[in-house]
Amino acid sequence: MTLGDGARIAVIGAGPAGSMFSYFFLSMAETIGLDVAIDIFEPRRFCHRGPAGCNHCGGIVSESLVQRLATEGIRLPDCVVQRGIESYTLHMDVGDVEIATPLMEKRIAAIYRGIGPRSSEPLETHSFDGYLLDLATQKGARVIPRLVTGLRREEDSMRVQCADQFTDSYELAVVATGVNSRLTEMLERESGEFARPDRTKTFICEFHLGRKVIRETFGPSMHVFLLDIPRLEFAALIPKGDYVTLCLLGDDIDEALIDKFFSAREVRERFPDGVIPGHVCHCYPRINIRSASPVCGDRLVFIGDSGTTRLFKDGIGAAYRTSKAAAKTAIFHGVSAEDFGNHYAPLCRRINNDNRVGKLVFRFATLVQKARFARRGILAMTAHEQRQTDSPRRMSGVLWDLFSGSASYTDVFLRTLHPAYLGALLWNLVAANLPGSPSGNGRAEKGGHGHVRH
Amino acid sequence: MSDTKTRQAAQVELPFQIFAQPSEKLPPCQARCPNSGDIRGWLGIIAQREKNGLSFDEACDKAWQRLVEFNPMPATIGRICPHPCEDLCTRREKDGAVSVNAMERFLGDWGLARGLELPQAPKERYRESIGVIGSGPASLSFAYQMARRGYDVTLYDKDDRPGGMLRHAIPDFRLPREILDAEVGRILGLTKSLVRNVDVGKDLSLDQLRTDHDLIFLGLGAQAARRLHIPGENGPGVVSGIDYLRQRKEGRESACGSRVLVIGGGNTAIDAARSVRREGASVTLVYRRSDSEMPAAAHEIEDARKEGIEFRYLSAPTRIIRDGDRVRQVEIQGMRLAEPDASGRRRPEPVPGKLEILAADSVIVAVSQAPGWHDAGSVLHADEWLRAEDDGRLEEDLLAGGDDLGPGIASRAIAQGRRAAESAHAQLRGLERPRSKPARPEISRGSVRIDFYAERQRSPASRLPEGEWLSRPNTEIDATLGDRQASEEAARCMSCGLCFDCQLCFMYCNAGGFTRLEETSPGQYFAMALDLCEGCGKCIELCPCGYLEAREDAR
Repeated sequence: MTLGDGARIAVIGAGPAGSMFSYFFLSMAETIGLDVAIDIFEPRRFCHRGPAGCNHCGGIVSESLVQRLATEGIRLPDCVVQRGIESYTLHMDVGDVEIATPLMEKRIAAIYRGIGPRSSEPLETHSFDGYLLDLATQKGARVIPRLVTGLRREEDSMRVQCADQFTDSYELAVVATGVNSRLTEMLERESGEFARPDRTKTFICEFHLGRKVIRETFGPSMHVFLLDIPRLEFAALIPKGDYVTLCLLGDDIDEALIDKFFSAREVRERFPDGVIPGHVCHCYPRINIRSASPVCGDRLVFIGDSGTTRLFKDGIGAAYRTSKAAAKTAIFHGVSAEDFGNHYAPLCRRINNDNRVGKLVFRFATLVQKARFARRGILAMTAHEQRQTDSPRRMSGVLWDLFSGSASYTDVFLRTLHPAYLGALLWNLVAANLPGSPSGNGRAEKGGHGHVRH
Repeated sequence: MSDTKTRQAAQVELPFQIFAQPSEKLPPCQARCPNSGDIRGWLGIIAQREKNGLSFDEACDKAWQRLVEFNPMPATIGRICPHPCEDLCTRREKDGAVSVNAMERFLGDWGLARGLELPQAPKERYRESIGVIGSGPASLSFAYQMARRGYDVTLYDKDDRPGGMLRHAIPDFRLPREILDAEVGRILGLTKSLVRNVDVGKDLSLDQLRTDHDLIFLGLGAQAARRLHIPGENGPGVVSGIDYLRQRKEGRESACGSRVLVIGGGNTAIDAARSVRREGASVTLVYRRSDSEMPAAAHEIEDARKEGIEFRYLSAPTRIIRDGDRVRQVEIQGMRLAEPDASGRRRPEPVPGKLEILAADSVIVAVSQAPGWHDAGSVLHADEWLRAEDDGRLEEDLLAGGDDLGPGIASRAIAQGRRAAESAHAQLRGLERPRSKPARPEISRGSVRIDFYAERQRSPASRLPEGEWLSRPNTEIDATLGDRQASEEAARCMSCGLCFDCQLCFMYCNAGGFTRLEETSPGQYFAMALDLCEGCGKCIELCPCGYLEAREDAR
């Protein structure tokens, strides 16, 4: 089951996975002189402000991914990058610490998936997703502005059905709808042999503060909160032009949790006068917390979030890896379930295995969030590292990679097992919790006796 | 939603919770249709037929049924209406307005070809007898709406044949008589009788009719023509537009000569000009304002121009010069436009000294119509328009509609007849009289996302080759759309303000708040579960047709 000249491919969804797949697929086809055509089905427009043109996400692209994309010919122009993030600031009840980029060039980029929040002023910015889609269309992909509502397997093809009764058949269907569309749910119900990804609810909102205030209060830094709020795994404020994006990840984020988060002193203090302003735009995007199964079939492959992705972080990186692997398989091996099983599914398994380690890492982070003495230790160790310039920054590196998704969870985890890391951590745990000890460069605890709880 | 969740939710402040609700706003077509026709509704039945399990034939039958709720003569109106519904069609700025008029005509012809019957009420017949004076569009509409509700209706017309101005003033090349006969006949089929050749006030008194019937509807039309009141106007060779058209429709030779001036800028003037052009005359149309003020439908003006009719704007006749009895020349005063008058159009005023003489064998004056009834006491006074309430009511047992309330287009007359019937029925049955409801607001232009819709060009009706327009003077120029064209044209409707099952809300609601209904129809595809709503407002912003709008009580 291989693709020959004249083959037609349907890509469903023009998010990063769909567009990058189309871009890679057409580039590879061009290289080997294969004459194929791609139709990308996407009824939404990334030129619309607010939720209608947005693909809901925090909008962080790690520098390693930016570099990777550059080597593929995808150079993110300045108009797509809202603000180069140069550091992370970690906020805890025991104090704050700023973690500078591990290496000076290793920055991260903040982007808008759509073109900006609801009723935002038209700026000279470009949607990240829109930019990738343009690359795909420049390669020759055709955008069909229709909503796909069904896929039916036919003898030698996949039939795409749309809401407006349009239908067409293709030699390969690539599902890249993410998990915020209902298509995977509908396919699960119809096929009976496919389980869609498990999802959980997150929260994203946008505050309009203006460039000047943002520069003064947030700087080019992403602010991460480690707070003792049950079910909250990750919270960050990401500055982007005139706006700040709040991103809450965890287990089924709901209004009660958001309320608790906004009530936290550490959060209020981030905003001018300690008052959290009204937001202009919010949503509760779902994220993939367990891979679809299987991620492929005959003439069918699920990429990006609708297949598998990295837990909590680096979704765009996962979209890049899955879309490229799927494109490579389809071009160089074939489009049967077996071809994808041999050449595409292993990547998904690796991601899934790494996510298992990731769960462990986040469980550990939760413990830290719960234990004040541990927070002090981490704060002290990080702050100490940031003051030194020549010694290895083990804790800073771990936190950086954890927040940015720049490294695999397995890699992060292995580094935490390093004797030097453990030794330093132990020392800081003890030192930071001794009476009268300084606690990082943040606020000093008044008369703080740490209580060791196990 | 559980109680716990409700309590939790109440504690948080999410300032911009946006909740959706279905819009009840009017689409621009319906807002501009004098008869408030449910255009979006009947187009939607055809466009969305497959979603609702209908074949093309079934959908057209059903659309026709919806259409004739308000307009019992769609084949006629579909040919002659200047279709204000298309003026601000949302589609206009994309790839041209939906051809509503052509679609109405298509369905009208469809109904005739399939022998579809007008809907008629129930078993129950009411004892009240209704008299209708006149048989033009207002009267026919009133008669239809009353007859279908179960009343005995008798029509009276001073002519031999029913139809009023539709029959006497619309040329065959725009409205073939078989079409009119068929649609009028279908309405008369629901009534008790048509009494012909009875001129009320002359042959029969209004008082007599009021004793014979429980309720009377006056659809007298505006049969008299306004005059120019200029020297030389009286005498042979000067005829009114409606008299001229009537002669032509009756097949009489007009003897207008080879050079004809038509005075006026309305549809009657254009119809007269085009008719006399078909008699071989060279025709100049003289209008006192400029082309943009001209009330005639733009496409009629364009066709007239193609037929070789010359247009002279900013020109007003001041004198008809005769040689003995015969018209020889007309003196024309050059005009310019001053401030707008009461009608909102710029008032023409003479340019001193700008006079011109045009040669002419005859003059057709089509500058407006006037009441043409006899002084018959009570409400009927010669030369005075009737003055009725919004529902057409003049007195307890007397209603009116159509041009006798002041001239207007046929579609407005049909609306007036319908509204009068609704009011009469309510009165006779002791129901609450339908108040003139405050008009629902029109959907705002910005709430329809034009770029969502794929480009689809208008399906033009085929036309008689231009070279044959004059040589086949009684042949209709435009053809009716074919089935395929009609299907494509219906699909161009953007369904402004009414759900057409694009499924974007259903597909992209993060909370899965939309559930598909078991039984669907245009506008009815999904149920919304507000207790699941997360207030992000995405559904509203995605909704291409503006059906979902933000509730005003949104926090």
